[in-house]
Amino acid sequence: MTSNQDIITRRAQITATFKEELIRRLNLPFTPEDIHEDVSLFGSGLGLDSLDALEIVLCAESCFKLKFPEDGAPILRSINTIVDFVIAEQDKQGVQP
Amino acid sequence: MRASPLHNKFAALGATFAAQHGREIVARIADRPAEYAAVREVVGLTDFSFVQKFRVPEATGLDFLDSLVAGNVPRIRFGRVLHTFLSNDDGLLLADCYIANNDQEFIFLCESIVPDAEILRILDAAGLKAAGAEDLTETHVLLGIDGVRAWEVVKEAFGADVLGLPYLSVEVYPFEGTSVYLFRAGKTAEFGYQLLAPVAVAEALFDKLHGLAQKSGGRCCGFDVHNDLRLEGRFFNIHAEGARVRDPLVLGLQWMVDFEKEKFGGAAAINRRRAEGLNQKIVGVAVEPGNRELAVGAKIIEGGQVIGEVVADCFSGVLNRQIGLAVLPVAWAYSGLTFRLESGEPVQTISMPPIMPKSLKVKLDEV
Repeated sequence: MTSNQDIITRRAQITATFKEELIRRLNLPFTPEDIHEDVSLFGSGLGLDSLDALEIVLCAESCFKLKFPEDGAPILRSINTIVDFVIAEQDKQGVQP
Repeated sequence: MRASPLHNKFAALGATFAAQHGREIVARIADRPAEYAAVREVVGLTDFSFVQKFRVPEATGLDFLDSLVAGNVPRIRFGRVLHTFLSNDDGLLLADCYIANNDQEFIFLCESIVPDAEILRILDAAGLKAAGAEDLTETHVLLGIDGVRAWEVVKEAFGADVLGLPYLSVEVYPFEGTSVYLFRAGKTAEFGYQLLAPVAVAEALFDKLHGLAQKSGGRCCGFDVHNDLRLEGRFFNIHAEGARVRDPLVLGLQWMVDFEKEKFGGAAAINRRRAEGLNQKIVGVAVEPGNRELAVGAKIIEGGQVIGEVVADCFSGVLNRQIGLAVLPVAWAYSGLTFRLESGEPVQTISMPPIMPKSLKVKLDEV
């Protein structure tokens, strides 16, 4: 069983990479520390739109070398749900954390 | 105690009322699972008249509003709604706010955790009168229509063009010889609309919406169930985690703040804490089905030490388990971890929002 510390190390790395790239691509007026991982990406929250959604998908795909499913909307609820997807995909592909 | 102008309408339905910061709220009407199911499966009509409401002319009130709240008021586009907060000089939360830009005026909705008089005192000190603001709190009602089929009710009531309203927008519609403001702005994760209407037409509006909600298979709801719906949809709840934590940065509300603004209530304190860096953070938590020990005040334990505390809880009907929010040290504030409650039962940190609302699968341009 994976220890809490192993999970933290892996999540922290993926989250930091993704946040930094997201801020750069979308020119968000926040530091990575300002963006809570559970905040909604669309509507109330970061207030992103459907064009931004495409950028988010491209951002995650290029950062982590994976492919989003066509009906991937549920994954885009928050940064944490995207990180969950990245971890699940890496595990499926046997990518070493 | 300030009561809703719709008190008698809800009393006739058998509503239970409760006091909240000097305001009477409709706490519940049916049992909680029935009200929960109404919103998640169909539609629920709720009285939000306890919210303080103001009309502020743009010409005289723009600077007034911008000096109050953490968000950037001049950047609100016409027809859109800003979701932000009002805090005290210590940068601690007082109210969860919507500000709508309706051309020559702003509508300011203020859902607070202090009595009306305290909010009015702060607004007065900031220049409420000079801004020409009109207090609509006693002269208007605010009704919420939430649910996967809420769009059906507002479409029937006001026409098909309401379906084109984006989230966080406002539009004015004629009703019984007067105007009502329609906000697309729910906090349940399902479709949500709020209607601000003069008291003179409040009962007629209630009757119309109630009739349409019933026709769709929905019902009236109390406010209590919204605590569950907000948590499950991971919408900020000023009455739950907001009232217990108070610090917007620990609560993850940085998105409500324009950090480039020089001045707003509590700006100095919030900017100072931001510069110092966060020590604590709020995270989602859940326990196994059947475990009811996850409740507000429960301690989170790691390695025999108390590291955090639960600040909001509810039973998630969708997940069939107790979920909550806990404040943890930043170093432990990650999803996917397992800690213990004082009873020894495991508690997991989870990614929020934990549910996929049915409304996300409905395409309004195709209905």
